[in-house]
Amino acid sequence: MIAVVAVVIVVILVVVVGYSAGWFNSKSSSSSTTGCTLPSETLLKGEGSTLVAPLMDYWASTYWNGAALTYNAAGSSAGIQAVTSKTVDFGASDAPLTYAQRAAAPGVLTIPESAGGVVPIYNLPGFALNFNGNVLSQIFDGSQTTWNFSALQALNPGVKLPTTAITPIHRTGGSGTTFVFTSFLSLENTSWAAKWGKNTAWPSNISGGFGASGNGGELSLVQTTPGAIGYVDLNYALNAVGGVEVGTVQNPAGNFVRANITTTESALVDSNPTLPAGSGDWYNVSLLNAKGAHDYPITTLTYVLVYQNLEAYSSYTLNSAENLVDFLHWIVTTGQNDSAPLYYVPLTQTIISSDITSINSMTFGTQTVPVCVPNSS
Amino acid sequence: MDVPTLSTSSSRSANAPPNPSLRSKPVHRWPDLLFFGIVAAIGLSILGLAMAIVAILVYGSRYSFQAFGLSFLWGMVWSPTATPEIFGVVPFVVGTLVTSAIALLIALPLALGSAIFLTTNAPRWLRGPAGTAVELLAAIPSVIYGLWGLFIVHPYMATTVEPALKQYLGFTGLFSGTPLGIDVFTASVVLAIMIVPTICAISRDTLAAVPQSQKEAALSLGATDWETTRVAMIPYARSGIIGATILGLGRAMGETMAVTMLIGNIDKVPTSLLSGGQTIASLIATELLNNNGPLQESAVLEAGLILLVIALLVNVVARLLVWRVLSVGGGGAVE
Repeated sequence: MIAVVAVVIVVILVVVVGYSAGWFNSKSSSSSTTGCTLPSETLLKGEGSTLVAPLMDYWASTYWNGAALTYNAAGSSAGIQAVTSKTVDFGASDAPLTYAQRAAAPGVLTIPESAGGVVPIYNLPGFALNFNGNVLSQIFDGSQTTWNFSALQALNPGVKLPTTAITPIHRTGGSGTTFVFTSFLSLENTSWAAKWGKNTAWPSNISGGFGASGNGGELSLVQTTPGAIGYVDLNYALNAVGGVEVGTVQNPAGNFVRANITTTESALVDSNPTLPAGSGDWYNVSLLNAKGAHDYPITTLTYVLVYQNLEAYSSYTLNSAENLVDFLHWIVTTGQNDSAPLYYVPLTQTIISSDITSINSMTFGTQTVPVCVPNSS
Repeated sequence: MDVPTLSTSSSRSANAPPNPSLRSKPVHRWPDLLFFGIVAAIGLSILGLAMAIVAILVYGSRYSFQAFGLSFLWGMVWSPTATPEIFGVVPFVVGTLVTSAIALLIALPLALGSAIFLTTNAPRWLRGPAGTAVELLAAIPSVIYGLWGLFIVHPYMATTVEPALKQYLGFTGLFSGTPLGIDVFTASVVLAIMIVPTICAISRDTLAAVPQSQKEAALSLGATDWETTRVAMIPYARSGIIGATILGLGRAMGETMAVTMLIGNIDKVPTSLLSGGQTIASLIATELLNNNGPLQESAVLEAGLILLVIALLVNVVARLLVWRVLSVGGGGAVE
């Protein structure tokens, strides 16, 4: 009996010791890279934007066989907070940092990693509707309460609008999607611009409507509330289980444009924004209201936020810095191939080279971080 | 009692010293000391943890306290978009109290009714399975209740229940507004269903603990089933039932996920039961980790502190209530 117990204890000890010493770690020896030290098993942690979450999740499965990345879609402001408090390796936000946010997180780089469209979705089955910024702001500020109002009718000749009550649904908490949408309404409607302006938080003194958490929460609430209207990223609208009506939006050229990968991509190309340095002020970078005839007007860049000097993290080593830099390098190059199938816009060559300049400027203390691009497997 | 026993201090006579081997000698053996040390450490660590939570909440809410002072307590406006930002906690305190009160109002008769049924009237073969089923309800994660609420209860409320309530009870002003199914009322109803198992399970145990002699006494006096329950059982189990109710109320006040999904997340005082609102718990869920800056984060933490205080008050009131019931002359019961 004692012998059996002793054997069991020895076996357990061997397994524990062996596990902690990495004996059973087949992965560390099997990965291959292009001629530099490979990233270890370290997990990269990201948090932020729900707009880009489907793409991040997909990247988690294509980068390093899915072993290296976890992404918590808590919202853009959560991403900014998390990177400021250094609880994650990178934050993700569709809203650029404000002056105060940059002051609170000195040394953070803003790196655009993708672009997407924000679309109006609504629950009026069978109605294909056209919108413009002016009509949308009248709906979302609560000044129109039923669907058959004249300004909307003017955009939809021949459609018999229902008398259903409008229930506008906005996002709770700080949301990059809200920032993009309110930025668009501010451009299109002077009264919106004067009263509410652009912000990651929904204006709290607008009466009527509901709040929903995350792009996914917004979608479910619109889907289950007759007469509701909301705004979500294109990916959420087109991948909605059970479907949802997506409106077209009038662009500066006067055309009603349906958001898809072609119209958002041409908006990105046509707006060709002037890009600040990674450490610069991105607050006014915008892809809204691109001038092309078929550009979708509510298109936005979405950003990864990382520290330029990775010694900012007390737990970091040169090796973990390398892991993060490799990942960033990978998403702006190889990772861009994953964007279009998920309805995100692949970055233009100009943006990619600006990104690479920013990534190459990252350091660990005084040391430069060697870039080694992993083989995409 | 003639025979003095060692276990009752009153029985010790003055001239007979207590048995030295059993009493009053300090314990020095090291296993006892070790045991004492471990137990004390564990016990105190729980206390320390609770104090640490309070300390963190107080420390975290310092910006908000500096900015708003006591006006936070009666501030009606919560606006992170205003310049400067304004935060007041009233909408969420109202939301929390209203949803929990309605939930309790709906849940208490349901829970007590089923507890009484399960202890007195149900056929024996049904008691076990039905009791287990009620307890199982308590184990369902709240996010599941939330999903069920969003996809099943919400449309049903919007199309059937709330229009009817508005039509027949609209004159009270409680049910004004558009019935959309995402509002204080729906959140309260789902909360009620969530706390029924808690209240029911504990009440059932308390009722089951009523001595058979009590019931037989009532029955032998010719009482009906209802009279037996009313006269013999409920008074005896009263303190346990109050305890169960307070536990349910506590759960309702702290419930987060399901409420967040159903209440509409509007940072305003609800104007009717059919308007959206926000509870303190749902405020924390939506805005603590996702906000526009340190002042908002601090204000959310202060709201959390206030929730803690409210929960504490409810507990104190409950204790007083139980104590009063017992001293006025209820029976012994499970607490």
